[in-house]
Amino acid sequence: MAFFDLKGLLSPITGLKQFGKKPHTIMFPDVAEHASDRYRGLHFNKLDDCIGCGNCSTICMNEAIDMIEIEGVEGKKGDSGLRPRVDNGRCCWCALCVEVCPTGSLSLTKDYIFVTPDADDFLWTPGVDNKENGEQIISFHSDKETSLSDYNRIPMRELDGSERIKSFAEAVLGYNEEEARKEAARCISCGLCTESCPDHMHIPEYINAIARGNDEDALRIIYDNNPLPEMCGKVCTRRCEDVCAMTHRGDAIAIRWLKRYATETAENAEITRQIVNPEIKEANGKKISIIGAGPSGLTAGYYLALRGFDVTIYEAKANAGGMTFYGIPKYRLPAESLEKQVSYMQSIGVKINFNTRVGKDIDFKELYNNSDAVFMGVGFEKPWTLGITGEDLEGSLQAVTYLDVINGGGEMEIGNKVVVIGGGNVAIDAARVARRKGADVTIVYRRRVEDMPADWEEIEGAEDEGVHIMPQGIPLEIIGDKNGKVIKLKFARSEMIPDPDGGRPRPKQIEGSEDIMEVTSVIGAIGQEGDYSFIPDDMKDQIKIERGRFVVNEDKQTTLPRLFAGGDSANRTADAISAIADGFRAVKAIEKMLIK
Amino acid sequence: MSENNLHNEQKLLNLLEKKFILKGGSVRRERRVEVKVEPKEIVPVLLYAKENSGYTAFTHMSCVDWIEDGEFEVVYILWHPEEKINFFVKTRVSRDNGTLPNIDFIWRQANTYEREIREMFGIQFEGLVGREEFILEDWEHMPPMRRDFDTAKFVEKTYFYRPGREDAKDVREYVQERTDEELPDFAKKYSRD
Repeated sequence: MAFFDLKGLLSPITGLKQFGKKPHTIMFPDVAEHASDRYRGLHFNKLDDCIGCGNCSTICMNEAIDMIEIEGVEGKKGDSGLRPRVDNGRCCWCALCVEVCPTGSLSLTKDYIFVTPDADDFLWTPGVDNKENGEQIISFHSDKETSLSDYNRIPMRELDGSERIKSFAEAVLGYNEEEARKEAARCISCGLCTESCPDHMHIPEYINAIARGNDEDALRIIYDNNPLPEMCGKVCTRRCEDVCAMTHRGDAIAIRWLKRYATETAENAEITRQIVNPEIKEANGKKISIIGAGPSGLTAGYYLALRGFDVTIYEAKANAGGMTFYGIPKYRLPAESLEKQVSYMQSIGVKINFNTRVGKDIDFKELYNNSDAVFMGVGFEKPWTLGITGEDLEGSLQAVTYLDVINGGGEMEIGNKVVVIGGGNVAIDAARVARRKGADVTIVYRRRVEDMPADWEEIEGAEDEGVHIMPQGIPLEIIGDKNGKVIKLKFARSEMIPDPDGGRPRPKQIEGSEDIMEVTSVIGAIGQEGDYSFIPDDMKDQIKIERGRFVVNEDKQTTLPRLFAGGDSANRTADAISAIADGFRAVKAIEKMLIK
Repeated sequence: MSENNLHNEQKLLNLLEKKFILKGGSVRRERRVEVKVEPKEIVPVLLYAKENSGYTAFTHMSCVDWIEDGEFEVVYILWHPEEKINFFVKTRVSRDNGTLPNIDFIWRQANTYEREIREMFGIQFEGLVGREEFILEDWEHMPPMRRDFDTAKFVEKTYFYRPGREDAKDVREYVQERTDEELPDFAKKYSRD
């Protein structure tokens, strides 16, 4: 060691170099303090982005978060209407609530000063109590990339487009067990989806059962209010997925595919019966007749039979399922799948009289008088026509007729250059079926692709299979040769005129854009309507029909008390799950009317 | 990021790989080097990093509960003030009676971290001096940072509900009331708690 340490002696003097420099401390409260960028202070919630799913409340280990009603926030489909309130006396600012917020509406701010005269006053409603300044001082916020939640759906395996058009084999392959468990585990069980499902299925419960590996429980929960779940698992319009909490920043839970997975674990009708093992009540002696073995009729039949009613379904055609059999192509819903579900229903006591058309083979009035109640699920089987010249030519047909023939196992000559008119699922179905029959197919739709009412997956599927879509095209005339056979379609292009009232834009024909294309057939798919000619004239006054549909109350009861109606001929949503919901509601009402 | 920028990071890793038996090691990114070692290698690696490689600052020490593997992972984070590189040393011990060497003779402040990890996870450090109680007082449950400690249950038992919280609603039931959904009893065990 040196005699004396020079550095040690000089060190205090080096402090002088700080003289005149800006200090690191601040003059509080004259100068505001700045918390760090990821500081975790008091909560803030963007009330408009929040959907009240309650995931924050569930994850909170300190039970600090309540979901409460807030003035000015109304619940709607996809939003419970509740908002979180934090007990700051319990909160430890771990920010797990922010991490798992599916919408990203909840965050923590740089604000940590909370002054109140009441020592018990720790309740804090984010977004209400800091409405003015909260948004400007957000610091710790939810980041999708690092979130504990998984925003990406497990992809569904399906056949390649070029492979699909070779046959009517099912295009979607379904989840295997591992995929289903993983996908089910993404669900946060908020249950907001149940409100959007017309049938209010117990979605979070059956998904949770799948996630926990109890597929049989999942199937039992599904069968509680849907007797055609495999059909729904394949072709449902799945309004539930539209409002899934995960859609706000990622992919909705594949609710439809998970339902499909659960139903496919029961390979046939007997196994389904063993698993579901429903309680069948003793016969109560009441006789119910059902017209039409479509989704609503089958649903009413199944649950009425379970409740001890003597149920007979009268079906005009040779197969049950209605539009789901005759309208939906087999590559989406194989005949065996429907067959399995229907034979399960028959096994618990639902009687179906096939090839029996009410109004022709059996009199409606007689049926009504001999039954304690009648349920009509007659559907829309009469297609609308385009209303243009040349529709009576050979080679001009309607999509539902075409699908009916093909799905019924028949054949129909349409040639190799087919035009389908329309933009709904029926149009896409007809186009994809025609493609499988080897035709070159063009869909002509008068609005834009984004205006098409068909499912986007269906539109994409059609494009993958080589269906050509011509948007903004208006058919004008179908031209035939001297033998009365379709050879050409005259059409025009349209432009979109915005609706001043805020509705969707309307197509308007562009002058001089008329053109002609060569075709072998034109398939119209612009909608259907009901055929109620089976109702005798002297009963027509008693059964009110408005705009082509039976007028029904909440119980699906028509203006004739013992007559109920459901499905397309009674609701405006025109899908299978609404029909199932109608059937289920009618069952409860019929039971109430006749038993309780 | 050019390769040249990672020169110092790679140099440290190469040296360690020559001197010690590593269970794993990588340059995670610029200014971050990570190695995995057996517990018995902890003291030599840390001493070498401090005395020979310039990692003089001990920044942090933390623990992760890998309950599925039946192991705790203790992470030592060092800092090179000149090269500005973070050096992560990770080691794993059994969740049952796991013991690690004490390193507070290398950095005095490690003592505080070790006492915290001992209390929160239940890992013992050989020869660690310091009061058994660190933050928790009269704690009679399992160490609370273990993942199998049921915080929600503990909270439910320990704390009362503040008055004014009675208006809380259950989201699932609240939405159910708006529809006519009737949830069967056997399904309720699958509802969210």
